[in-house]
Order: sequence, then structure tokens, then C-alpha cells
Amino acid sequence: QPVLLRCPQRSQPLYTDFSRLSSTTAEEEPAESSPVEEKVYLSASCVKRLGEIMGKGEYLRIQVEGGGCSGFQYKFIVDSTRNEDDRMFEQGGVGIIVDQDSLEFVKGSTLDYTQELIRSSFQMLKNPQADHGCSCGTSFSVKL
Amino acid sequence: VSKRKILATRAALTLTPPAVNRIRTLLENKPEYIGLKVGVRTRGCNGMTYTLDFTKQKDQADEEVLQDGVRVFIEKKAQLTLLGTEMDFVESKLSSEFVFNNPNIKGTCGCGESFNI
Repeated sequence: QPVLLRCPQRSQPLYTDFSRLSSTTAEEEPAESSPVEEKVYLSASCVKRLGEIMGKGEYLRIQVEGGGCSGFQYKFIVDSTRNEDDRMFEQGGVGIIVDQDSLEFVKGSTLDYTQELIRSSFQMLKNPQADHGCSCGTSFSVKL
Repeated sequence: VSKRKILATRAALTLTPPAVNRIRTLLENKPEYIGLKVGVRTRGCNGMTYTLDFTKQKDQADEEVLQDGVRVFIEKKAQLTLLGTEMDFVESKLSSEFVFNNPNIKGTCGCGESFNI
């Protein structure tokens, strides 16, 4: 008797769980088609440069801070520790770390290593969240 | 009336040793270029920004700076702006860039690329 009782008890939460899961994916689907993926893309030059400069266990951390002439600015740090809210994006054997708060501002962008005669540096390109940037590309304002 | 040339008593632009080394490496395998040309352009959020290019010849109005065997030319437009500036080359893991320490400027942009006089 207890066995018979337990069986429907177990199947019931399982069933409701499954239905909840399917309903959330159904809700997310239309939302996912238009906004940007929560990801930072790496350009080929960026992967190459990171491979050259980063030691084992070292990653490039992208942070977004308030500041700069357009409201927000990107900050690049070499980091070897990963925190709990960090997201890591790997490509071609190199990795970058973005914390969840900063990711909201940079998702969909491309990290590039730009080489010019006057300067060579990492730059964020094609940020879908950025409205208007500073000429140097360090600072940006957010689309509202 | 004889054309009297006013000679500068000080170099218009000084180069730091890292800048000299960098320019030398840049020009190493490029015999067609005689040096670098520095200019200013109206751009950026703070009025002006520096430009840097390879140059094949010295223009009439260019100011020539010869230091430790490397040549840097200053565009006519930029001569007043750059007077007394120190050109440095700063290299770190994440970036490498020429930095202009210009005593004439009043303000710069956060990133240091743009400035006003």
C-alpha cells in the first residue's frame, strides 16, 4: 500500500515541474529572438594578442564602470581569479571574464585588439547597448 | 629684404628613449619612409586629437626634429600646438601607445586621446 501511494506522489511533482519548465521556455522564446545573446565575441586579432600576452590561468577581465566623458567606460584588467558571478567566454584557447553586472552593458559586443601606428589597445566594438561613444572608444553612453 | 630665418632655440618636440626605440623599430624595415609625421586633427569629445603617420618626404612647412637618429616631422598646423611637448611611448600588457605630454593643453578627455588648448 505505501508503495502504491508513493508512486503517484512522486509522479505528480515531476509532472508539474516539467510543465513549469516547458512554460518558461515558451515564454522566453519570443523574447530571445530580438535581443542580443548574453555573450561577448572575440575578434581574431584579439584571440591572437591574448594568446601572446596571457600566462596560464590568466584572463582578461572586462569591467564597466561609471565615468568617462559619455557616462560609462570600459576597463580591462588581467585577472587570474574567477568570482561566483563571473561569466567566462573562451575562444581559440584564450578566455575573458565578465561579471554579470558588466555583461548587461557589453553583451553582444566584440572585443578587438586594434593596432594603429599611434596606439595598440583592446577595444569594445559594435556594442548594441552603446548609443554614442567617445572617439577613443573607452567611454560610451547607454541606449535608453 | 633678406629672408631671415628665425631659429628655434629649443626643439619643438622632445622624444623619450622609449619613443626613440619604438620609432626606430617601426622604421626598421621600411627604407621608403624617412620618418614619422605628427599632426593634430579636430576630433574627439575634447576638441583635438593627435595623428601619427609614416612620411616619405619632408614638406616645406614641416618642422623637423632629429633626435638620436630618428626623424619626426611636425605638420605646420600642429607646430604651435605641440611646442614643448614630450613624446613618450608607454607599453603595458594590454596596450601600447604614444603619449604626448603637452604643456599647452588645458584639458583632456578621460582616455587622454582628445584634448583642448
